[in-house]
Amino acid sequence: MSVEALSGTTPAEQLASKRADVPGMNWSKVGWTFAIIALVYGAHRVYMQQMAFTVGLDYFEPEFQIYWMPLFWAQVVVGGLAFFGVNGYLWMTREKNPEAVTPRDELGRYFGLLLWVFSFAVILGVLGSFATESDAAWHQVTIRDTDFTPTHIGLFYFALPALIIAAVGLFMYAKTRLPQHADKYLVPLGIALSGPILILPTVGYNEWGHTFFYAEELFGAPVHWGFAFLGLALLAVGGVVVHILARMGSLIQEIQDEAKV
Amino acid sequence: MAVTETTEVRSSALGLRLERHVDWMIIIILILIIGAASGFTLAVTMGDWEYWVDWKDRRFWPLVPPVLMMIFPAAVLGITWTKLRIPFGATFAVFSYTLLKWVSLYFNFNVFAGFPMSMVWQSTFIPLAILLDATIVITGSVFITGFVGAFLWGVLMYPVNWVMLAGFHEPILYNGELVTAADLMGFEYIRTGLPEYVRMIERSTLRSFADTVVPLTAVFAGFLCVLVFYVSWAAGTFLCRQTWVKKV
Repeated sequence: MSVEALSGTTPAEQLASKRADVPGMNWSKVGWTFAIIALVYGAHRVYMQQMAFTVGLDYFEPEFQIYWMPLFWAQVVVGGLAFFGVNGYLWMTREKNPEAVTPRDELGRYFGLLLWVFSFAVILGVLGSFATESDAAWHQVTIRDTDFTPTHIGLFYFALPALIIAAVGLFMYAKTRLPQHADKYLVPLGIALSGPILILPTVGYNEWGHTFFYAEELFGAPVHWGFAFLGLALLAVGGVVVHILARMGSLIQEIQDEAKV
Repeated sequence: MAVTETTEVRSSALGLRLERHVDWMIIIILILIIGAASGFTLAVTMGDWEYWVDWKDRRFWPLVPPVLMMIFPAAVLGITWTKLRIPFGATFAVFSYTLLKWVSLYFNFNVFAGFPMSMVWQSTFIPLAILLDATIVITGSVFITGFVGAFLWGVLMYPVNWVMLAGFHEPILYNGELVTAADLMGFEYIRTGLPEYVRMIERSTLRSFADTVVPLTAVFAGFLCVLVFYVSWAAGTFLCRQTWVKKV
């Protein structure tokens, strides 16, 4: 008796059914994630382009209080709500029984982790490149008056909190969904994610230093060297990538072996 | 048997599809993270020496950028070579940095702040990264790669950028003063605190070492690059060790 007669389906159909269950990368989610981040930061950037040199040069001007400080306060409120909302959701929907997660589910969750790492990477691209050097360019043509400048509002109070939300969300996702992370911590992941968080005290030191003993804004000046911790900590992303590749490779192998049976 | 063979072939295709998904995501993620992390780190350490054309002097520009730029390529090469046997980690790191840096320079310094692109172009490190990768491919030795490849990285930084820089060092007689084209651009575009600092640096080099400032600086940069290569390689490989802890 043939296989088709026993199961009612052809081997090709059985295989197609198994393939349909196997999770892969959801490319539309990747595209949407990128589009949303690009759209939000792009809108912020267009606003800065239009308003920074016209109504953003002096904190003590009434225009600054109309066009820039409401944006600052809105960012603080939205950032706070997003932080607690995202992490609260991840905690409330956590996996209660990590031992029962099947290899297929775990593989799907690792693709979810990749999406979180991708979000973190895109926001880091915004912060580490565009937002930081917009501040460098700004300081070369204007004199600092207070800690609140248009580029600081974009960098320290928008891009940096967004990166911290992505970093903590990534950590929470791994901790609450991935069985290997349920009862222990991956050191390279902790080091990599500590960079964005520990940059906050550096921002404090930077503003304090610029206020009291170093008014210039040469970006290579010693007062800025503490910021380098963010970039250097991200060298540990190599360890996270090695972990993801090793675990996902192992899960893919398990699923392939399962499909052969 | 026939069914088993078909399933094996198809399940390999399934595995291949999933692995391709992972590979593409990792490549995109690494370009963004390495590009942004290295760009950010270098902006707050070597910063202005990397892009202002009038800061591309003979004493600090051939020293500061190549030495600090070595950190990420060496660390990334350490990870990709030891863990994945991929021999182009340094070129990948420099390519990622270059890609994001050019976009940032254009949008921030040109579109936002109004500086001409000819004034804020970044140095190129891609030939040096290819050289570093080629050294490890040819020798297979970390020690020789550091000793030879990293040394050449520091020594050759000035020559590989000279094609782009030479035109900006053309002498110009300006109001009775002899200045370079780069100097003139620096004077025309007033910045907060830069020109005096650069003039101070140049003045100190004129009477130093019989005017052989660049070769001397390049050799010193080469030695420092060797040191930074080994330290960064060790840091990169150490940080990718799969260490787990139960408590924090």
